[in-house]
Amino acid sequence: MNLLEFSEYFLLIALAIYAIANLRIATRKTIGMGLVGVAGLSIAVATILILVQNLYQIGFCRDIATALVILGPIGTITFARVLRGWKNV
Amino acid sequence: MYDIITIIKSILLIISGCFVLLAALGILRFKDNIPRVVYARVHILGVADSACILALLLLGEPFLAGAYFILTPFASHAIANGFYYGEDTND
Repeated sequence: MNLLEFSEYFLLIALAIYAIANLRIATRKTIGMGLVGVAGLSIAVATILILVQNLYQIGFCRDIATALVILGPIGTITFARVLRGWKNV
Repeated sequence: MYDIITIIKSILLIISGCFVLLAALGILRFKDNIPRVVYARVHILGVADSACILALLLLGEPFLAGAYFILTPFASHAIANGFYYGEDTND
């Protein structure tokens, strides 16, 4: 295992731990906490997919990561808008 | 032996991994009974977002890093704004 592979595996493990932590946050009782958890989970999974593509040369991971990176924040913004309500526009 | 670009890349990837680990630790450390803990967690989310943007740049995905760099401040602001107006009495 060379130095670059080692650092990629280290980042992969760190992101897996971060994804599990975010999953735990996403299951809290309030909607705001769920939004925070899902926003963190989406970027963690996208980065994990890019790492998997670099490590194992799986091409379609990049397409899924692109969809996650673009649609994740847009979904978060939309849901936060619903959470905010329409009274204080 | 490794060339200098590989060494710099590896060091930066390990640094971003350390930041992601610190963010995971920080996001779990706060207790739920602290008032308005969502703002603190949005702040921690920003640390991990920056680390992931750095990692995406190093892994050769500048388009994804740029798109996320533009979109993530809007998402964080939307979460905080929605919590302030929608759920300010809870949590």
